[in-house]
Amino acid sequence: MKRDKIKLKSILINLFTTVLVIVEVYPIFWMVTASLKQPAEFVNKPAYALNDGFYIKNYIDAWTRGNMATFFKNSLINTLAALIFIVFFSVTVGFAVTKMDWKYKDKVAKYFGIGIMVPIATALIPLFQIYNKLNLINTRTSLILAYIAFGLSLSIYLITGFLRSLPDEILEAAVVDGCGIYKLMWNVVVPLMKNAIVTVLVLQFFFKWNDLLFSMTFINDTKLKTIQTGLLYFQDEFGSKNWGAIFASVSMSVIPMLILYMILNKAVIEGMTAGAVKG
Amino acid sequence: MKRVLGNKKAIALFVIPALILYTVIVILPVIWSVYYSLYEGSPGLKWEFAGLDNYKRLFKDKNFIAALVVNLKYIAIVMAGQVGLGLGLALFFRFWLKNFKNIIRTLVFFPVVLPTVAVGQLFVKIYEIQPNYGLLNSILSNIGLQKLVQPWIGQASTALGALSAMDIWVAMGFYSVIFYGALLDIPGEIIEAAKIDGCNAVNLFKSILAPLLRPIIITCLVFSFTGTVKMFESALALTKGGPGNATKSLSMYMYNVSFSYGKVGYGSVIAVFIFLLCIAGSGIINRFDKKN
Amino acid sequence: MKKRILSILLITTMIAVMLTGCGGKKTEPSTGETNSGTDTTTDIAADTTDTNAAAGDDKQIAKKIKILSIWAEDKDNGKLITDLTKRYISDVNPNFEYEFELVSADNLKQKIATLVASDDLPDVFVYESGKPIVDLIEADKLLDVGKALEDLGVADMLDEGAVSLLKTLSGTDELYDLPLGMNVEGFWYNKALFEQADVEIPTTWEDFEAACAKLQAAGIQPLTAGGADKWPVTRLINAYVMRSMGVDAMQKAADGEAKYTDAGYVAAAAKIQDLASKGYFGEGVTTVDQNTAGNMLLSGEAAMFYNGSWFTEALTADTNPAGADGIGFFNIPVVDEAKGTITEYSMNCGNILALDKSKYDEGTAGWLKYMVENIGNEAMTQFGAVKGYKYDVAGELSTYSQIVADELAKVSKASTWFEAAMNSETSTVAQDNVQTLINGDATPQEYMQSIQDAYDGSLE
Repeated sequence: MKRDKIKLKSILINLFTTVLVIVEVYPIFWMVTASLKQPAEFVNKPAYALNDGFYIKNYIDAWTRGNMATFFKNSLINTLAALIFIVFFSVTVGFAVTKMDWKYKDKVAKYFGIGIMVPIATALIPLFQIYNKLNLINTRTSLILAYIAFGLSLSIYLITGFLRSLPDEILEAAVVDGCGIYKLMWNVVVPLMKNAIVTVLVLQFFFKWNDLLFSMTFINDTKLKTIQTGLLYFQDEFGSKNWGAIFASVSMSVIPMLILYMILNKAVIEGMTAGAVKG
Repeated sequence: MKRVLGNKKAIALFVIPALILYTVIVILPVIWSVYYSLYEGSPGLKWEFAGLDNYKRLFKDKNFIAALVVNLKYIAIVMAGQVGLGLGLALFFRFWLKNFKNIIRTLVFFPVVLPTVAVGQLFVKIYEIQPNYGLLNSILSNIGLQKLVQPWIGQASTALGALSAMDIWVAMGFYSVIFYGALLDIPGEIIEAAKIDGCNAVNLFKSILAPLLRPIIITCLVFSFTGTVKMFESALALTKGGPGNATKSLSMYMYNVSFSYGKVGYGSVIAVFIFLLCIAGSGIINRFDKKN
Repeated sequence: MKKRILSILLITTMIAVMLTGCGGKKTEPSTGETNSGTDTTTDIAADTTDTNAAAGDDKQIAKKIKILSIWAEDKDNGKLITDLTKRYISDVNPNFEYEFELVSADNLKQKIATLVASDDLPDVFVYESGKPIVDLIEADKLLDVGKALEDLGVADMLDEGAVSLLKTLSGTDELYDLPLGMNVEGFWYNKALFEQADVEIPTTWEDFEAACAKLQAAGIQPLTAGGADKWPVTRLINAYVMRSMGVDAMQKAADGEAKYTDAGYVAAAAKIQDLASKGYFGEGVTTVDQNTAGNMLLSGEAAMFYNGSWFTEALTADTNPAGADGIGFFNIPVVDEAKGTITEYSMNCGNILALDKSKYDEGTAGWLKYMVENIGNEAMTQFGAVKGYKYDVAGELSTYSQIVADELAKVSKASTWFEAAMNSETSTVAQDNVQTLINGDATPQEYMQSIQDAYDGSLE
């Protein structure tokens, strides 16, 4: 009796797992097959049909017409530059508002918190004018600055959450041992926050890599455009869509994410699970 | 101790660069928007001082109310879905799943990394009905549920649900991983002890896990809320706000008003409203935290 | 805004005259000698050579312009513009430089709005004709292109019909934009499916509805439309309006002489809703984009498809499964012969090209002159397309380009599209809500009322 129950349970678990995996993975598998279909296949064949052949022209179109190589490079540069600063600032600010001793630290923490609520679209027109006055339109700097500034709030929020749960004794011990503030920061705090930092990195990477609004608004030069704007290359004047090329470029834009994710996967999941968010 | 942690120079160095950048690029534009909201028209084109007229117009505007309703519904559905399913998955990972744990957790997290534009384009095809059934409709039709085959994103009754399902699909893995981490932090002994005391699964969750998870649930709710209140890109990519206004959010309406109608002033009022809504909502959620 | 006094009637008569000229030229067989054409064309050709030589000789002003386009550099009008600009640089002015920027059509207005706000419009940009450019004209941002071309001595390179249409759309006596197309609209049909169901080309709306019913009975989806893109559906309402109330009906409502809720407009909306509720468009028409709809026609999954003559690009492609002669065209069927006849067409100039006033100088002028002189021929050679400029190219047209040429030759009067005279607020409402109309979620009365409300509200 009991054994039957356990058996049933394990069947149910396996069934659920299978369904879960299919729900998560199949759409992406489908997208890759779709990127290899000829235009006519989208119309004549059912959606679930596999690609007839390997219609590589979609990829060639996406790569050559869509300047994907340039876009990749740009996205990578902007994202990485922004990430370095985000991590640096969020750790320093986070530490200053939680562990350090000064009058306005709670107010400053709250002030940074406001940013989580600011809808990007609100800032678009004013920001454009600020950039214009500073002569920053059409530069990588404009994007990187916006990425950093809009990435700070959430990152600081995450870091402070983590730091609050960090016992003060560790810091005290280090200070007693004669650590100055910068050494304390670099040798004690940063290593302890490895998981939180990975979390911030990963989250912000996805946000910045996915940015569309900023790069659409601030960048005019094709040589400086990012990958998301590239995905818009396949829309024509009268609403026609080249689905094969769209999915080819989407697949290409996803692949680096996939690779990065595969490499970092363990650190990411660990970082996220090992109590990065301790509210 | 005090001397080291009270080092004024270090504090200044740590805080001021970020503070300046953040103020100029995030806060200044918000204030600027408030200032814009007192004007009529579009800067550079007709641009006249209008005082509070834009604010008066807000609640008489049927389209604004419609967008607000859509947005609130979306927040409710997606927040519940993302956080609820995330928690459910985490419990599943922690207590039931035995094999391939890592691979499965990895796969579930995966949609988070996809670009929004890409996900939108993908789901347009999944929900398709004409000229061919998309993935969903062909499955329904093949398992004998022909009756359920319908234009999922083409009718007001299902479009918002379809959009929400997509956004839940994207983000539930993210939340499940956060919850899973929190569950791992709960010492196994507590759970074992409860089980020995004859606690069933429901009671175990209610009396042991839920209180311990409370802070993390609240954090996740705030995340989800601030994300959903800005509803824009995914709706744009999937339905463009249609059919009709069935999936048109506040941000989309604001975007239309500002950029298509050329009423940046009135658009700024809506932007300010979204901002206030965001603050109010997060405040309410955080209330639950403080009661404890 | 200046009230529009010009009657479309007058203008369109001019279009007709012009187009007849164009069409006539094009239909000449290409036996080699015919490209001598008429006197005017010879003149134009000679003229072009002259100016090229002249420009090459003296001023080669160093200048860099920014071009904003919604077409990529290797597509459609984007290719046309860049090819000509490159040729201008190599043949005429090596000191000229250009920067090409692409923006998606959906973001064009937002992009221009931000650029205007910071007083930084590109030298040359693609924009939408009609109401959107009126705002820019009123803010004194746009170059009076008509006058500039007059000064350059090339004003006569523009097709007069296109000029009138553009002036009407902006409601001005001067010309502030350049055309990038000259299109007629109507129904494209799949000949094989018509034969299969034994259906004739309908000439009246009754015939049209009967044809739909007959096709449906034969198991063929009668119609397809890009409901996801919204405008293809409002075009259908427009089609019925212009046939039942005359070509100027939409203009009247926009001028306040009629209300959008008047019986005629509501009846038109009801007609289209009726087609949808009978299932003629298939299921979920609001999820189909215009490209997919076009493919359905070509691959024989639907029999009729309303679209403009730009559709020839898809028709002439090698990938067209219907082949070089599988698709035909008929104009909107007649509802009431007294109100609208079969020689009246719905027409437009596509997206247009405008120039920033403050950035225009002699350097840009050289380029502008070259463009206007050569764009007509270039478009005809490269794409077999009429862009609203005079051209002088002989050669065999594809069946489909020939169809368009023939239709253009028949035009007696023209109507613009449904939203042409509406401001962007009204137009957005008209497009968004048409999805609820066609889904049956809103009644025709409610639909037209929502447009009237937006119209009244935006006047406040």
